[in-house]
Parts: sequence; structure tokens; C-alpha cells
Amino acid sequence: MRFPRRFLTRLANSAARRTQEERLREEIEGHIALQTAENLRAGLSPIEARRQAMLKFGGVEAMKQDYRAERGLLFIENLLGDLGNAGRTIRRMPGVAAVIIVSLAIGIGVNTTIFSWIQMVLFEPMPAVRGAANFLMVEPRAENGGYTGASWLEYRDLQSQVSALRDIVASQMVAFNVGETGRTERTHGQLVSGNYFSALGLKPAIGRFIQPEEAERPGTEPVVVISYDYWQTRFRGAPGAVGQKLRVNERELIVVGVAPKDFQGTMVPLKFELWAPATMAPALLGGTRDLEDRSTRAFSLIGMLRPGATREEAQAEFSTAMAQLARDYPEASAGIGGEILSFWDAPRGPQRFLISGLAILQGVMLLLLLAVCGNTANLMLARGSTRQREMAVRVALGAGRWRIVSLVLSENMLLAFLGAGLGAAIAVWGTTALRVAPMIGAFPILFPTKVDEFTLAFAMLLGAACGLIFSAAPAVHLARLDPQDGLRSSSNTPPRSRARKVLMGVEVGLAMVVLIAAALFLESFRSARQTDPRFRPEGVLLAAYDLSGRNPDEASEREFAARLLERLRSLPDVEAAAIATNVPVDLHGIPRRSFTVQGRVRTEAGQDRAISNTVTPGYFKVMGIPLLEGNDFAEMRDKTAPAQAIVNEEFVRHYLNGEDAIGRRIQRRPGSFAIIGVARNSVYDAVGELAQPAMYFSYRDLPEEQGEIHLRTRSGNETALTSEARAVLRDLDPMLPLYDVRTFSQHIERNLYLRRIPARMFAVLGPLLLGLAAIGIYAVVSYAVARRTKEIGVRLTFGATSGRIVLQIIRESLGAITLGSAIGWVLALVISVRAIPKGPIHLPIFLGVPAILLGVATLACWIPAQRASRVDPMAALRHE
Amino acid sequence: MKQKTDVLQGTLALMVLKTLDVLGPQHGYGIARRIEQISGDLLAVNQGTLYPVLLKLEQEGAIASEWGASENNRKARFYRLTREGRKQLQAETKDWEQTAAIIARFFDAKAEDLP
Repeated sequence: MRFPRRFLTRLANSAARRTQEERLREEIEGHIALQTAENLRAGLSPIEARRQAMLKFGGVEAMKQDYRAERGLLFIENLLGDLGNAGRTIRRMPGVAAVIIVSLAIGIGVNTTIFSWIQMVLFEPMPAVRGAANFLMVEPRAENGGYTGASWLEYRDLQSQVSALRDIVASQMVAFNVGETGRTERTHGQLVSGNYFSALGLKPAIGRFIQPEEAERPGTEPVVVISYDYWQTRFRGAPGAVGQKLRVNERELIVVGVAPKDFQGTMVPLKFELWAPATMAPALLGGTRDLEDRSTRAFSLIGMLRPGATREEAQAEFSTAMAQLARDYPEASAGIGGEILSFWDAPRGPQRFLISGLAILQGVMLLLLLAVCGNTANLMLARGSTRQREMAVRVALGAGRWRIVSLVLSENMLLAFLGAGLGAAIAVWGTTALRVAPMIGAFPILFPTKVDEFTLAFAMLLGAACGLIFSAAPAVHLARLDPQDGLRSSSNTPPRSRARKVLMGVEVGLAMVVLIAAALFLESFRSARQTDPRFRPEGVLLAAYDLSGRNPDEASEREFAARLLERLRSLPDVEAAAIATNVPVDLHGIPRRSFTVQGRVRTEAGQDRAISNTVTPGYFKVMGIPLLEGNDFAEMRDKTAPAQAIVNEEFVRHYLNGEDAIGRRIQRRPGSFAIIGVARNSVYDAVGELAQPAMYFSYRDLPEEQGEIHLRTRSGNETALTSEARAVLRDLDPMLPLYDVRTFSQHIERNLYLRRIPARMFAVLGPLLLGLAAIGIYAVVSYAVARRTKEIGVRLTFGATSGRIVLQIIRESLGAITLGSAIGWVLALVISVRAIPKGPIHLPIFLGVPAILLGVATLACWIPAQRASRVDPMAALRHE
Repeated sequence: MKQKTDVLQGTLALMVLKTLDVLGPQHGYGIARRIEQISGDLLAVNQGTLYPVLLKLEQEGAIASEWGASENNRKARFYRLTREGRKQLQAETKDWEQTAAIIARFFDAKAEDLP
């Protein structure tokens, strides 16, 4: 009761310290004057009267102390005093302080950035959805372990049978062609169940969401919900957007509402713009049987536990339901069980590869931060030993141990929090930089990472932890100081510690590994650019089309491709044109298919697999890949030729022992293909790769819904073909957009960009670690030198030259450094041999990096050694 | 050492409150004199120790103070009991009496009184 009032008054008093002191002084004066007057009346002499009065009053200073302790909050006043003192101390060592703050800031910044990602994946997997981490994935699973997705009818069954989950939500990702005839645009959206928005607990920005009854019966209501961003960019955020018509896959849909800001769908980081009822599927996807067919498993399901239900119950109910479905519909559901998974454990999406990688990265970065702390502790110790006298004086004047500790602590904490503040700023910058990662391939991706109060708290927590870690040693050391010893001489230095040298060695070793890795990455990246891909990418334009919106049959797919090619080849600027299902040097790689080939007997178990691409005739001409034997594929409209295949040299060498390939048959699903030609090897996955066996099949035999158009220009400017190609496609089908248009060079660059990310990461991390190691060495050597100022003084007095002393100091430190770098070097060698088993060992890197590293290390030793050797011997000895 | 002052401070606070209750507003010196007069030589404390106690009581709200003029026309700070202080005094007086009574009974108790 009384406490808060006293506390507040005291707090106020702490602020109004001066007036209070004044008041006390006046009161004491008054008191003594009254007592003196009294004593005078009693007959004492004036001097004696005042003396007696003072005696009676007692020790003024001691009383003042009590009074002050009573008046204010000593703790806070001391803290403020310490902080002020710390600020002054730090200002007196701007260089060291800057090094400490910046290295801490980088360490904390990197850790915080990674933490914000982990936070996203674990706690906020769906932006704008509250408690998104509580959602569970409801995943049907085939016997072979593949997650199959659920069919619509299955979803309806599960919804009623799994009662432990409330509101199971179904969604399917689709690519829509949005816009007026001839001006369509490819936009990604989701077909969703009627409870989608209500189960996610969302509120529309404007308008309303899809109602449950609108997703009851097929083709009921042509409605669509648009994303906030789509609303802002396409409708300029106008409230009139609601009620407008949007042409989606040739159907008019009415915009009924706008999703809340930041919501990007249930398959983060994919970013969707449109949501339509799942029951619109037949109308939007050209008569698809998604809604009736139990074997079309196009939907993914998520749900949240009903209050009181456990995950085990949900899993049990789900398994029972799937088992029942397997009995009821054996042709569609046999052998398909089910698994309830946490959101972060999702079988699809980035979580899969992100979470383990992030955890490792966070671990490594925390170690890095620990190394920073070690460095800082050494730097502070080196300074601490020069401040021994200051501390000894403080102790001698009556400062308690705790006051000394709190003094040291407040200095370090101030440094740590300055570092953490800067680190948080770095994290804000880092997360924003990562958010705007380039669009990868044809899918719109947005990582919804952000820095919020939790992330900031994490940064501050790291700062506090660092501060405590690197305060510990100096604080303990200084607090144990015996004031007499401290004042008398500088002999009472803390003992030599092996840990410091180990830290130095480890840092150097780490820097060695990472620097070599960085150099190797950069080198491979550089050579990848210069290596011949063994096809001619220059002058080729790539563009994709997709017929999947209209559910075409094989005949119409083949016919569409044939007509498209005819029209394209008739363009004056087009030298050659072809369509293929896959483009080499793609991020996602080219699929491998299993096959058997006539004349090959496998000895070991398993299946032969080779790269497989389905292409139209003319492909090899566009790509500039010569056919070494045989001929190109038969024309698209040729109905007489048998199914054909072309293989590459490596295929012949590897599977046919270099024997004649023409005429042999390849068996693969769905049939048998005769080899009619052999193409030269080229690059498939990455420039610089070893030769891989590959098979090409013909679009004529295996038509596909999707295709990548390859156009070789006559004029040399392939981008000029874009508008002509668009016009051709519009002529053939006004509702079909041409998307992902890029030159082949851009396509390769895009792929290289992602390869560049690890290279970049190492390129940043390498110098960082080098800097860290240099600081570490500098700190350890400074500390060692500071301990030995007296010894150095003695040696100088006895005639040692400063050169000799520098040399000796460097030699002493170089032992640990050399050992560390040797271990690092061997480690790097082992890693590089493991990573590229047949690759050559890059000598310039394996010799150059150690040279640089040792050079920097020697310099880091030399600076403090040089400074120490210049001490005035008299000054160094004077304390004795 | 510390404990001793604490006990002293506690009783001193009670004495201050009682003094102000009996005499009305007083300056520090007046309070010190009164305590001295009543306790005689039994309580030999430095007068200075009074001031931290006064401050504590004021911060607790038991007493209030303002500047005024002393009998020899010097500036002096006068302390008076607040309503809260009066309540506190009553409560503490009761407590004290109870404690004193209990202690007294303990001292009076003889072995044969015990059951």
C-alpha cells in the first residue's frame, strides 16, 4: 500500500536532488542555531555553545548519507551515475567501442534476421491469419509415402467424419487467365471451399466473402474475392470494385469482396490474388471432373482442432475415415492413408527445406556471435588491466565489490545494447531485402517475414546475453582486485589463459574454411559463365503457354502445337521455332524418367533413369545442337511414322556401350519408342556439369497441355519477337496469355542468380569472419601485451630493440594462429574434395587464401605489438 | 549494527508521531528537545538521526511539513501530524501496548503458573 507512494516520491526526489539537499542544509543550520542559542542561555561561551550543539547533533555527513538513502532511490541514482560514467568511458575509446558495437551489431543483426524467418515459419505461417500456427495439414498419403492431396468428394466425407477438427478447409491452386479477350494476363488464385474465409477468421477489407452456400452445388454463383494488392493495383483501391465484373478464364465473375491486407492465401509463400468457390471449377477449368472424380486429388486440406480435442484423436479419426474410403472406393482410394501434420512440417512449400536449414544457420550464427563475445571480452580485459589503478582507487575510497561489478557491467551493457540497437536496424534492412527476392520461375512468391516486437525483443535479449557474457571475465577480475596490490604495482594481472589462444585459433580456422569456400563458389560461378553450354542460347526467345484451363484432349493439344508452330515459322524474323516441355538450365531441373532400352541388361537392382524432354521437330535446329546420326522427328501432323525417340551421345556411351543406337527401342510409359537419331551432348541442369545421358521424345507422340515456345531470331534481336509471338497466340486463341517471356540468356541468368545466393552469402560471410578473426587476434595480443608492459619495459632497459620485442610477441601468437589455420585448411580441402569428387583442386585458392589470412593475422598481431614495444621503459617501470 | 538502528528508527518514529500529536506542529529541534526531555538520559541519540526519520514519515504521508519562523525568528521547517499519521499513531500505539502487555506477561509468568 505504502510502497508505491514512497517509491514515486523517491523517484521524484531523485530528480529534484539539488533542492532537497538545499532544504536539508537549511534545516540542519536552523537546528544547530536553535541549540546554540539554548546553550548560550545555559551560560556557555559562544564557541563552546556551537561546539556542544554540533556534538549533540552528531555526524552531519553520516546523517546526510542516511538521509539521502532514505530520500531517493540509491539504486537508480547509482545506475544513472554508472551509465553516465560508462558513456564517458566509451567516448574515450571511440575506436575500440566502434569495433565492438559494429561486430556485435552484425552478429545480432544476422541472428535476428534468421530468427524473423523462423518466427514466420513456426508462429505466423499465414500473414493476416490469427493463430495460423494452430492449423494442421490434413494430408492423404499413399503407401509409397507421397502426399497425394484430396479429392473434392473425399473432402466432403472427411469434413463430416473427422469431428476432432472443426471447419476443414479445402483449396486448390490454379492459374487463371484474367482480362478481356486479347488482353489476358496470367494470375494465380485458389479455388476454395465455402468455409474458407470464415474458418481462417478473416474480415473482408471491403465487401463480403464467399458464402458457404455458394460452394454447395457446381456452378452456382459466379463470385470472386480479390486480394488487397490486386484491389490496389487493378482497381486503385476504389470501393466501387465490389460488384464489378472480372473476366476469368472466359467466365464473368462478380467481385464480391476484398481480402484483408497482407493475406496471401494458405500456401505461403505463394501469393494468390483471386479466390473463387471450388464449385466453379467445372466452369473455370473447361469441364474438369474435379468435383465428381475421386481419383483427381487436386485439393489440399487444413483444419484446426476443436477445443478439447487432441491431435491424436484427429489422427485416429482421419485414419479410420481414410480406411473406410479405401474400402468404399477401392479404385480411387486403395492404399491411401492419412497423416495430420503441423503447418511447419508441411510436405509442400518452403517450410520443408526452410526449417532445418534455418535451424542450422541460426546455430552457426549464434556460434559466430559467441566468437564476437569472446573478442569483446578480450578487448575489455585488455582495457581492464590498464584500468586496474582506477578500480583500485575506487575500492580504496570505499566502493563495494558490487559497485565495481555494476560499473563494469553498465559499461559493457551500454556497449551491448548499442550493438543490439544497430543490429535491430540491420535486421529490419535484412528482412526487407530478403522480402523482395526475385520472382522465381512462373510462380508469384512473397516471403511474409517482418520485424515485430518479438523480433526486437529477441535482438535485445541477445544483446543482454552478449553483454553478460563478455562482462563476466573483466567484472570478476576487477571485483577481486585487492586495492593495496592494485595501487602498489601492476603485478596482479589475471593469469594467462589457454582459452584465449584457443578462441583465436578457432576463429582463424573458421575464417579459413569459409574464405576458401567463398573463393571456390565465386570461382565456379565465374567459370560457369565462361563455359560453353554446348547449345546456342544467344538469339533465342522463350515463352510459355498453358492450355490446362480448357481441359483439352491429346488431339487438340497436338493440333494446337502444330498450328502454333506453322504460324510462328511463317514470321519473317523467325529463323526456327520449336516447342518443348522443359528448358535446360532451369531452376527446377529437368525431370528424369525410368526406362528400359533394347540391348541393355541391368546387373544391379533398380531402374535406369535418364533426363527426358519432349520436343517438337525443329528443336535441335533452334537450340543449335547438331544431330550426329539419324534424323529429326517426323512432322507434327505425320500420322504414319511410329513413336520416335532421339538420345544423346552420353546415353549411347553409358547404356549401349557406344554401339549403334539407331533402330533400338526404348520402353517407357506409355509405350515403346524407336531411336531415330543421336544428338550431341549438351548442358541440361547447370553449366559446367559432367555429361549426362538424355532422351528426347516427340510432341507428336506425347502432346502436352503446357509448352515452352523456343524462337530463334534471324535479326539477332530476339526480344523484338515478343509482340509478334503474342499476336500469333492471340490470333489462335484470344483468351490465352503468353507468359514467362524471356530471352534464353535471361533464363540462364535467372538460374545463375539463385546459384549466386550461396556464393554471395559466402562472399559476405568470408570477409566478415576474416574481420572477426583479425579483431580476435588483435584483442588477444593487446591483452597479452598489456599484461606484460612491465616486462617489456625491463627488456628495453636491458637493451632489447623494439624490433626484437615485436618479433617475439608475434611469434608467440602465431603458434595458435598457424595451428588453427592448418586445421581449417585441411577441413576446407576435405569438404571441397567431398563436394566435387572428380573436380581438380584449385591451387591458387588453396595457396592464396592462407597467404592472405596469415598476412592479416600477422598484421593484427603487429599493431598491438608495435605499440607495446614503443613504451617508454622509464614510464613502464615507474609504477614499481 | 543495522538491525539496531532499525529498531531504534521504528521507536523513534513512534516517538515523533506522539510528540506531534501532543504538542502540535513543531520544528525538528523542538521534536528533538521533547524526546530528550521525556526520555531523559535513557535515550542518548544524536539529534541528527531524527531527520532521516522525519523524511521517511513525510514520504509515507504520516506527517507534512512547511517553512515557518522559529521562536528566535529563524527560518525553520515545521512538521505536523496528518490525518493518516493520526491513524497510524493510533494503530501503532495499540500494537505497542499489546506487545508490551504480552512481554510483560511473559516476564511475570512463573514456573508454577504453567499447566
